[in-house]
Amino acid sequence: MAAHAEPAAHAEHEHHGPATYTYQPNPFKLDPTTLGLVIFLTSEIALFGAFFLYYGHNRLVRHYEWPQPGFEIPANGTAFNTAILVASSFTCELVLIMLVRNLRRAAIAWMIVTILFGSAFLGLQAREYMEIGFTPQTNAMGSSFFSLTGLHGAHVFLGINLLVYCLIRLWRGHFAKDRMTGLIITSIYWHFVDVVWIVLYTLVYLLPSHT
Amino acid sequence: MNVFLRPNLARCLWVTPFTSLIFMSLTLFIRHWVGMTPIYDSQQMLTVGYISGVLGFLIGIGAFDTWFPWMIGAPTRPEDHSQHGAYSWRDYFRFNTDHKVIGLQYVTTTFIAFFVGGMFAEIFRAELAHPGQDFITTQQYNGFMSQHGTLMIFTFLVPVFAGLGNFVIPLMLGAPDMAFPRLNALSFWLLPLALLIFLSSFIFESFEAGWTGYPPFSTTGPMGETLFEIGIQIAGASSIATAVNFLVTIITMRAPGMTMFRMPLLVWANLATSALVVAATPFIAGAQFMTMFDRVFGTQFFVPSLGGDVLAYQHVFWFYSHPAVYIMVLPGFGIISEVISVMARKPIFGYRAIAFSSAGIAVLGFSVWAHHMFASGMEDWLRVPMMISTMLIAIPTGIKIFSWLGTIWDGVLRMNTAMLFATGFIFTFVIGGVTGIWLASVPFDYHVHDTYFVVAHFHYVLFGGSVMTVFAGVYFWYPKVFGRMVDERLGRLHFWSTFIFSNLTFFPMHWLGLEGMPRRVADYDPAYEGWNTFISISAFCLGAGMLFFVYNMIHSARHGAIAGSNPWGALTLEWQVSSPPPIFNFDVPPRVVGGPYRYGEPGAQHAIFPEETVPVHEPAHV
Repeated sequence: MAAHAEPAAHAEHEHHGPATYTYQPNPFKLDPTTLGLVIFLTSEIALFGAFFLYYGHNRLVRHYEWPQPGFEIPANGTAFNTAILVASSFTCELVLIMLVRNLRRAAIAWMIVTILFGSAFLGLQAREYMEIGFTPQTNAMGSSFFSLTGLHGAHVFLGINLLVYCLIRLWRGHFAKDRMTGLIITSIYWHFVDVVWIVLYTLVYLLPSHT
Repeated sequence: MNVFLRPNLARCLWVTPFTSLIFMSLTLFIRHWVGMTPIYDSQQMLTVGYISGVLGFLIGIGAFDTWFPWMIGAPTRPEDHSQHGAYSWRDYFRFNTDHKVIGLQYVTTTFIAFFVGGMFAEIFRAELAHPGQDFITTQQYNGFMSQHGTLMIFTFLVPVFAGLGNFVIPLMLGAPDMAFPRLNALSFWLLPLALLIFLSSFIFESFEAGWTGYPPFSTTGPMGETLFEIGIQIAGASSIATAVNFLVTIITMRAPGMTMFRMPLLVWANLATSALVVAATPFIAGAQFMTMFDRVFGTQFFVPSLGGDVLAYQHVFWFYSHPAVYIMVLPGFGIISEVISVMARKPIFGYRAIAFSSAGIAVLGFSVWAHHMFASGMEDWLRVPMMISTMLIAIPTGIKIFSWLGTIWDGVLRMNTAMLFATGFIFTFVIGGVTGIWLASVPFDYHVHDTYFVVAHFHYVLFGGSVMTVFAGVYFWYPKVFGRMVDERLGRLHFWSTFIFSNLTFFPMHWLGLEGMPRRVADYDPAYEGWNTFISISAFCLGAGMLFFVYNMIHSARHGAIAGSNPWGALTLEWQVSSPPPIFNFDVPPRVVGGPYRYGEPGAQHAIFPEETVPVHEPAHV
């Protein structure tokens, strides 16, 4: 309340805005935005970690069967899904490559392909949900399966949103070779979503407790 | 523009319920469309209403005014710093990006939570003064007890350090603001919402499962439990966002010459804490998501009849909540390092040892969570490793204690209120630390598990430890924040009443616990009456002593003696600018030339201000 009690102290501040700085160089050689995203992603890893911890506890400590007796987990069908998501990671990188070469139209095209791949992944995942035969309410392993894939799906959805924002800004020419932080952090996020899926696919789909 | 359209609290008044209603109707529509009967589900309505209400409030306060146009690629306003800085008292009630304003907003909000939570403690202490049901029911007792723990931990101890750090750390680093000022303001405005969500659960019958929210009580408990779960998500999101901000600020925005080993120890402590917050907080988010889904969507995470395992909750929960204990005390250690070095007029003893022991505590903190579960029936083989790692934590903590004692040794002590709290902290925290070692040993823990001994232990570390450091910090930086000195006489009264009555309140709890009085009970065996009455009376005196603090804080802001820029003769950067600091902190970027604790070296300087002043208009970074 009294931070403004001494107007005299501010009287000489004619210019509006902070002083210009050359900061002490940081050890990571990253700009603040990218560094912030990378730190945020460690927090995301921990969030997935909480759900993996629950899943691992049920599998390793409680020795629950997975998939539960009478159900099947479509590892082969989802392999196609996985391939689409991995491919989208590459097309996302192509957007950056095209932009660095000043090929804006190609960048837009690859961005659209990336968004379509991401949406296709979500659509196939939704179909899998309907056909898998159990629901989150069936039992604890069902809850675990749907929460892990659902949390990942929510991240894919958010990622698609970010890609769409980037597409709009790409369309309007906001990004250029030397001005693409927004695109870079979106692509890092998209790769992260992809890597999480590969881990999830391995642990949940490829490691059933009985064959 | 109309006051209800500008970004401010008035706009929140209509945007918040409006957003809630939209999302609630959407939920009804979706349930109807999918064919669920009945369409109305009170748990789901409550959840959707509250979460979208939070979103609506943030839109109303103006948190997304810059981000929405940016997202859709619309032309954005150039940064004109119109959201930065406090020019009138109104600026403290709007979306303000100035770290100094946010710091004060944070500390004020958290202290409101502190006093409300303290009041709840006084209420149930009154009930516990005599055995038998006196004036609150067992449900109300559970409610007050749970609210006390939740408010104190999630809306006081965790965020108050974010608040103090917010004010001090950019100044200490010589930076003009935090790295992401808008994110900073957003993370502040989530906090009062979390507080209101917790408190509003009284309307629907308060949550009763304690601050730990263990299932099955939390999954089957009253409606307020859902609000507890939502509130934790909001408070957690706030602390993660702040932690990311601190980490980026500390890593990228140090003034030229500020190498890692020239940073003040509070900055080191916040670096370690923020790393802990980023890596640990999502686990409580995960745990609360699971219990919330059990309540709202009928999932089976913790329903034993369908394979749900309540121990899994405890593992996930404590994987956050043990590191959270260090989140609640590490920044306090940083404050103590600052206060003791300045007031003893000596270089801090073992700078690197203190810095690395913070990092050591942060790393070890992840390996001890199951010591809360020795008696829970978890896997046997986990017990001994957890016991050993828990005891190992005493080493870095001991390093700090001895470094502070080494700093005090032979110093020219200035025993003002801040220093009294710092030394009082060492005394009470060591008691809490010693009982911590006892509790770490499995056989002893079996004897006192879930008794008042545990209550005594964590009140010694959290009240006698963390809260004392908060007071030390508040008294230490008060002249910087308000430009006026606190009344030392009232400050001493506050210290002595807090110190004496906190010991009288919490020490007898050890004996009650050893005799077997269980914690979290509304009634007890008449054999325990004597000490319980004594504890309740001491608790009332402890609460009454806080009035000295409140009066002192409010009165001194207007009537205290003018402080000048550097009343303690400290070397760190925040004391080299006027009090209160200029709106943009530094007219010239400071140049750091030496360590921050060079007291006693003639002519020693931590930082200098180069002569050339170039008025500029562009922001430091975009």
